[in-house]
Amino acid sequence: MSKQSLIMAIPTLFFGGLIVFLLIWNFILSLENWSLFNPTPKFTGPQSYLYLFTQNFFYTSAQHTLLFTVGLVAIGDILGLLLAALLYFLPSNAQRAVYLSIFIYPIAIPPTATALVWLWLFNPQIGVDWLLAKLSLPVIPWFATPLNTQLALVLVEVWAYTGLAVLFYLASFLSVDKSIIEAARLDGASSFNLLFRVLLPNSMNGFIISTALLFLFSLRIFDIPFIMSGSATSPTLMTLVTYIYYLYAYSEYFSAAAALATLVAIIAAIVIIPYALLGLKRWVFRR
Amino acid sequence: MVITIVRHDSWRLQIKHGAASAPILLPPTQFSTEAYYFDWVGFGTLIGLEFPMIRQLLITVPVALASVILGSMGAYFFYMQMERRPWVSNVGFSIISLATFLPAQTLTVPLIELTSSLGIYQTYWGGLAFAYFIFYLPMSALLMSIFLPVVPNYLIESARLDGARDWSIFWHVIFPLILPGFLSTLIFVFLMVWQDFFTPLIIATRPSLYMLPVAARQYVGGYAILYNRSFAAGVITSLVPLIVFAFLGRYFIRGLAALGGGAKGV
Repeated sequence: MSKQSLIMAIPTLFFGGLIVFLLIWNFILSLENWSLFNPTPKFTGPQSYLYLFTQNFFYTSAQHTLLFTVGLVAIGDILGLLLAALLYFLPSNAQRAVYLSIFIYPIAIPPTATALVWLWLFNPQIGVDWLLAKLSLPVIPWFATPLNTQLALVLVEVWAYTGLAVLFYLASFLSVDKSIIEAARLDGASSFNLLFRVLLPNSMNGFIISTALLFLFSLRIFDIPFIMSGSATSPTLMTLVTYIYYLYAYSEYFSAAAALATLVAIIAAIVIIPYALLGLKRWVFRR
Repeated sequence: MVITIVRHDSWRLQIKHGAASAPILLPPTQFSTEAYYFDWVGFGTLIGLEFPMIRQLLITVPVALASVILGSMGAYFFYMQMERRPWVSNVGFSIISLATFLPAQTLTVPLIELTSSLGIYQTYWGGLAFAYFIFYLPMSALLMSIFLPVVPNYLIESARLDGARDWSIFWHVIFPLILPGFLSTLIFVFLMVWQDFFTPLIIATRPSLYMLPVAARQYVGGYAILYNRSFAAGVITSLVPLIVFAFLGRYFIRGLAALGGGAKGV
């Protein structure tokens, strides 16, 4: 292989290598005791990790991340499957494209806009509740308790990211061999049976892709809770990634921020690397 | 602390100039573009969205374009290495996937440290563009290495037999064939950079350096009750993505589908 292609790859190799370098640096920082009050850090071993495990915010933010992630993956997968099935049974391709872009659209708009629209929708006087009250239905107290607020955030997440699941389920449904479907139809299978007996068992790819991506998108969700709760200091919507920012910008215990960042990076890498090597690469380069 | 002072201050100014503000918690009574004017120009300590918008356009377009061009060259390298040295391509593929999907917040501390030790913290072309490249150049490389295998191998082989070097193979044989993939990646990366909130939040924190999503947040946080203004900020922030998605949404969807790999049917 010539040197020319290596030279062409230098920018990618540089910035890719930089990510790895920053992750290693992060790990080294996490083993020190660097904070605002301790500007000359020394190596202290796992002290900042132990500090994290004594913090209440650590456990609450981990709980929230768990709730948001499980909520998004479960609801997003099921809803995405059903919506993809609806799109699959549409007769025309043009209609399918239009509805698919409607579902994908929330991913394309900035989360800042998403957050402020949903803040309005959750307003008890002029949001969704206004409509519910007009129709004399029971109103939902969205932000009344911390749990309600968190469930409301799951709703926003589902709205924002279900399009991913719809897209990947639809793509794997469309790649199922048409002759199998014709055969099932001739045997008199209903759409329901077709979906659960034929399409679903043949679209394991779609399930793995959408679960992995929903997990990763939910793990990195930062802007929507940040804007909806006003800042990173609110414990109600604090997630692990918000807590990293909180530790950095408010506690100013930089080593603890680095320690938490290392933990989150490990969780993410456990999903990302097998997904990339065993899934993505195999599917992509299968010719 | 600072934020509360600012908020309080502008609130007081606001009441003093009561005629300019919309009544709180009342349904709209008349059509007015006042909120857009207010958001665009700024008021008191609130930074208007005019300059953040111009900045965002000036940075996002070149960053997206450069990262997709450079990333696709990297993708070509990994693709070429795949048969001869699979481990190079495997390691490269893992790293670019890691960079694509890793929560950006995990790099907060070392990223700020790195940019400040290079003296490019709180700058656009140094710090912010550099930080964008760290996340979005590998993302482009990942997407492009998914789009690259559509080029049949025999075309590359025959170009090589005719004596073409990698540079001309890439630009004259591969590039014309992957133009749709290139466009998809470009649109996808452009929208991702546009909606990136966290990178400017940590790198360009000075109010005179605010990028659009961060600047728009002033109108969401402090003015959550003045719905016309916060919605005007939302419209201004999502105007460009709206136009891009309306005309080039197909490409965005194809780029997103590529992140899932096996998705070729859509």
